[in-house]
Amino acid sequence: MKLKNILIKILIPIISVIFAFIVGAILIASIGGNAEEAFTYLFKGAFGSSANLGKTLVKATPLIFTGLAATFAYRCGVFNLGAEGQFVVGALISIWVSTSVEGVSGVPLIILSLILGALAGGIWGAIPGILKITRGLNEMIVSIMLNYVAVLFMGYLYTGPLREGSVPQTEAVNDALKLGRIYEGSNVHSGFVIAIIVAAIVYYFLFYTSKGFKLRAVGLNDTASMYNGFSVKKYMLMAFIVSGAIAGIGGSVELHGMQYRLMSGFGTGYGFDGVAIALIGQLNPIGTVLVAYLFAVLRTGANTMQVGTGMPTAVIDIIQALVIVFAVAGSALVNLPNVKQLFINITSKKQEKVVQE
Amino acid sequence: MGDILNAGFIQELLLSTVRMATPILIVSLAELYSERAGLVNIGLDGIMALGALVGFLVGYTTGNPYMGILAGAVAGVFVNMIYAFCVINLCAEQIVYGMAINIFAPAVASFIYKIYFGVNSSLIQGPLMEALPIPLLSSIPILGSVLFNHTPIVYFTYLMVPVTAIFLNRTKAGLNFKAVGEFPKAAESLGIHVIRQKYIACIICGALAGIGGAYLTTCYINTYSDGVVSGRGFIALSAVIFGRWMPGGVLIAALLFGFADALQLRMQVASSDTPYQLLAMIPYLCTLFALAFFGIKKAGPKANGKPYLREER
Repeated sequence: MKLKNILIKILIPIISVIFAFIVGAILIASIGGNAEEAFTYLFKGAFGSSANLGKTLVKATPLIFTGLAATFAYRCGVFNLGAEGQFVVGALISIWVSTSVEGVSGVPLIILSLILGALAGGIWGAIPGILKITRGLNEMIVSIMLNYVAVLFMGYLYTGPLREGSVPQTEAVNDALKLGRIYEGSNVHSGFVIAIIVAAIVYYFLFYTSKGFKLRAVGLNDTASMYNGFSVKKYMLMAFIVSGAIAGIGGSVELHGMQYRLMSGFGTGYGFDGVAIALIGQLNPIGTVLVAYLFAVLRTGANTMQVGTGMPTAVIDIIQALVIVFAVAGSALVNLPNVKQLFINITSKKQEKVVQE
Repeated sequence: MGDILNAGFIQELLLSTVRMATPILIVSLAELYSERAGLVNIGLDGIMALGALVGFLVGYTTGNPYMGILAGAVAGVFVNMIYAFCVINLCAEQIVYGMAINIFAPAVASFIYKIYFGVNSSLIQGPLMEALPIPLLSSIPILGSVLFNHTPIVYFTYLMVPVTAIFLNRTKAGLNFKAVGEFPKAAESLGIHVIRQKYIACIICGALAGIGGAYLTTCYINTYSDGVVSGRGFIALSAVIFGRWMPGGVLIAALLFGFADALQLRMQVASSDTPYQLLAMIPYLCTLFALAFFGIKKAGPKANGKPYLREER
């Protein structure tokens, strides 16, 4: 029974991806393109050379962080749509730390910057949490509003006080504060390793600690958890703070590892992508990492496809969006009573046969 | 600051309040219909984005913004039917599916725009709906230009408020509709077709949200760009909570948020040395504070957000 559930959880995303690609192929054909050629370029772009492989890992890194942020919060039954804001706030603190702190430099400063980034993200994430548990406010709306505030504030900083020269962007972090490359010939930075470590910690916490168990219990049924004596509100707030911290450290890592400076478009869409990734990954940290990688494959590949075939990258955006549409519908479908019964009928028949034999 | 607070400024401010409140109001009404039937739809932002694109595109190709509004409504209904099928028939979680729509619909909108106009197109301008002053009423000083010199969509939107109030509170159909959101089992046992009512709610919601999106690109500005909706769907969601799930309350909430939007726009024009990003935060902060101080814990339809399984006990 348990094995079957795991199998279904793995099958849903895979089938969704296949369906999304089929629809994507139809779409490409309908606007006069060659689907086979387009997808060949897509995968060549993502896997074709070690540089491209590296590019994909770099793209996956921020998505892993925001995906984990969404996973962690939703495991506790709260919806954090504010990962983008928390991501940006983390990066804001980091650029401030790395351009204004004196006396420390190199790796210690990077570590300080990452910790402060996580802290800032956590504080930004705590706001919807606090408003939810004290005022009963809808956490989704609050976190979305905070996204806009954070992004606009970042815009203010890179066009105003922290602007460098005529282009609206901040100055770059200096070379000593850039995250190291994992291997030569690609731009994979150690941030990817940090992302994997965070994923492992989240996995361990959620499934192998009693706090993690309680957190998931609150997510599954808060009334039952309350009568069991779990402090539901405390766990919800914790979920928000940790979720925000994960997104915040993601912003710091992106700043130190990839972008080096703040400019227009920093972090755009990562929050919602994270939610999509978490849902397709069935709220499992391992699934989240894999789906984040898939999204990154689609994105790096999309550029190659656009150059090679002239097919706009927006096709890939649609495929990505279809994956979530199918995956969520698929998860709901297998939970319907009729369908569940169908599954039980199929498996019990098999068992009967075994008995007869 | 003193010289900008003159009569002209205030009149302009009120005028743009009415204008800016319109998309928020119509989308809040969309959400109101949906939530009154027990369906929380957080995909409004996405539906608006698609409505905005389709409205713009049809307005651009036909040269008639009214056709654009109509097409926007149809597009809204179409995309909301995906949501409807999944949450009503498949009992998918409403929040999760709303989120899926929020990711899906803007992607479709952006795709269509890029296919139609090419990847590197500059801003393309479509027709803008002209204002239709109401005879006599529009010649009242100040009030006339503030209230009665707008596009027909604005009149339609504000007219929808009393229509919705009367429908929900004074007609049998409306009471049946509300019953579905309060206690679907009891409604079903009284012979109300719950599933059908929920679909009707989704059709109304999709159409109104689509119009709200199309309004942005046919009445407010005459171009489409990704992110044109800029969170108005979520502001509309909070307007429903803030307005206590009542049409009158929603109107007040929409006007408040519209005022915040208008204020920041006018202030951008009036004081160009203030960084515009700080002013642009005003509507979002205003929404946050309004919710934090006046939001309530438990209100709204009882069965709001819960899936309805007929066979379930």
